[in-house]
Amino acid sequence: MNWMWLKFAVQNTLRNRRRSLVTVTIAALGTAAILLAGGFALFTYESLAEAQARESGHLVIGKPEQFVKDEETPLQYGLDDVAKLRAQLLADSQVRAVLPRVDFSGLVSNGDKSVVMIGLGVEPDAEFSVKGPFLTITEGEVLSNGANGSKGPEIMLGDALARNLKVKPGSSLTLLASTTEGSLNAMDVTVKAVFSTGVPEVDKRLIYTDIATSQKLLNTQKVSSLGIFLSRMEHTEGAQARISSAAPQLKVLTWEEKAVFYRAVRDLYNRIFGALGLIIGVIVVFVVTNAMSMAIIERTREIGTLRAMGTLPRQLLRTLSLEGMVLGGVGAIVGILVALAVSIFLYTANIQMPPPPGRSVGYPLYVNIHAVLYIGTGLLMVALTMLASAFVARKTVHMPVVDALAHT
Amino acid sequence: MNNTHETPVVKLRGVHKTYRLGAHVIRALQGVDLTVERGELLALTGPSGSGKSTILNLAGLIDTPDSGDIILNGQKVNDLDEEARTLMRRDSLGFVFQSFNLVPVMTVAENVDYPLFIAGVAPAERKVRVAAQLEAVGLQDHAHHRPDALSGGQRQRVAIARALVKRPRLVIADEPTASLDSHTADQVLDLMRERCHAEGAAFVIATHDSRLTSRCDRIVALLDGRLV
Repeated sequence: MNWMWLKFAVQNTLRNRRRSLVTVTIAALGTAAILLAGGFALFTYESLAEAQARESGHLVIGKPEQFVKDEETPLQYGLDDVAKLRAQLLADSQVRAVLPRVDFSGLVSNGDKSVVMIGLGVEPDAEFSVKGPFLTITEGEVLSNGANGSKGPEIMLGDALARNLKVKPGSSLTLLASTTEGSLNAMDVTVKAVFSTGVPEVDKRLIYTDIATSQKLLNTQKVSSLGIFLSRMEHTEGAQARISSAAPQLKVLTWEEKAVFYRAVRDLYNRIFGALGLIIGVIVVFVVTNAMSMAIIERTREIGTLRAMGTLPRQLLRTLSLEGMVLGGVGAIVGILVALAVSIFLYTANIQMPPPPGRSVGYPLYVNIHAVLYIGTGLLMVALTMLASAFVARKTVHMPVVDALAHT
Repeated sequence: MNNTHETPVVKLRGVHKTYRLGAHVIRALQGVDLTVERGELLALTGPSGSGKSTILNLAGLIDTPDSGDIILNGQKVNDLDEEARTLMRRDSLGFVFQSFNLVPVMTVAENVDYPLFIAGVAPAERKVRVAAQLEAVGLQDHAHHRPDALSGGQRQRVAIARALVKRPRLVIADEPTASLDSHTADQVLDLMRERCHAEGAAFVIATHDSRLTSRCDRIVALLDGRLV
């Protein structure tokens, strides 16, 4: 492209500065709105993905039936002899940890009252060090390995469940569950801690205990599944393929396949923010179209003069599109700077969003700064304004020169 | 300056042109024959509606005849497509308009440079030719001014420089002095005549201005679309 066309386009955008300023402002606001909304959506996806991967592991391995069938007895489709499988999985350089998990359900009683509970048997030390602070301990201390010796089996339970049973750390409870043979078993446990997951419905039911306690309660040595934690999120698909081929008799699911909530939120946000982006795009196109229409109508005679001097319609179309590009480009740059400033401010301001539906705790309002989103939005804005300009200019640049020169 | 041994710059042969304005049919040209030789300063005179501007539009390849032939530099141009006509205008024709029609966002030098730029002339050569043209029209000190900083006469001199910078065979000028006071008009006319003979380009000028016709090599009068 010859720079003189661009220079001419820049000069033309400065003819009516107020109109150009309005157009640039709309393009900037549109760009900033798309980037902020998109950045917020990306932050949400990232947070939910991390939460899910932290909760389940980047990969979950178990018997295929474990993921598709309902068990008739506890751990019917559980894994035997997981020590060998764990060793095999840990040999993979991208695998950071392999955590067994026993899922069970039953009743928890304080002697006066019995409440339905959902139990998770975990290896406490590994679980809480690998997963990080995924629970908020409101009372007591987090479970640890080997604590059963002196005080017997211990559990942590959700704060709503603790309130329901009127217990606190040190209190005794009784767990009741069906064993793998189908008989009922009971076990006295001590409350080690009370926690909150931030989801009231979960905190009404959930208890954590160690693997040994859960296996003893269910009278088995099996575990439900193994959670595989990788060194990086991006390794998920590759590790899934390797592990699946190494253990073809087992099923390996990714965190995303287990993440129903994540997928639902992502689908919803994609639709909401997609519609928002579309609306913004239409507004920007209309504004640019309007501004360029006025500019071109005012310059019809000049366009006729340039045509008379031998300028080809496509050359005029190019310079008028470049005018759109200049307006859209400046708007996009300003919008990007605004979005960057707002995003950085939010990272430092620590503004909290109110709890979403179904949750009891809010979350920080962050907006991700994603290079692909920024570049893509900037290019989209430039492309939209160029196309809008070309669209409104095409008729004038092709009109008969005599008519264009006679335009008043 | 007329050289009958050379190919005429432009030749109109039996040209008819009709315009429709709603239900009205206006016969703008009725069988016009006209030849313009190289380096000739030709004035087209006649009352409004006599067909002067139509001849300029046809000779300037910005309009097409209903019938008859237009021959530019020995080439019949009736059947050329729009792009070929545009390129022929770019390479062989210059235009001077009554209201100057300079591009307001360009400087004087950029306005004069524009025809060379679109013709793809090398930047170094463009610079030399623009400077020469501005010097020829006495505006070398105004090269970086915008048109709105110039007087009417100066603007028309810029327009003449713009028309001549690409060394055209033919310059089409439609009422070039109509927007100028008499003193300035005289200066512009002198300049056109001087540049016409210096550059060897033919000028076809539509005008009502008797001062202008007295300075032209030939005067062609039109009435109701016919030469008289």
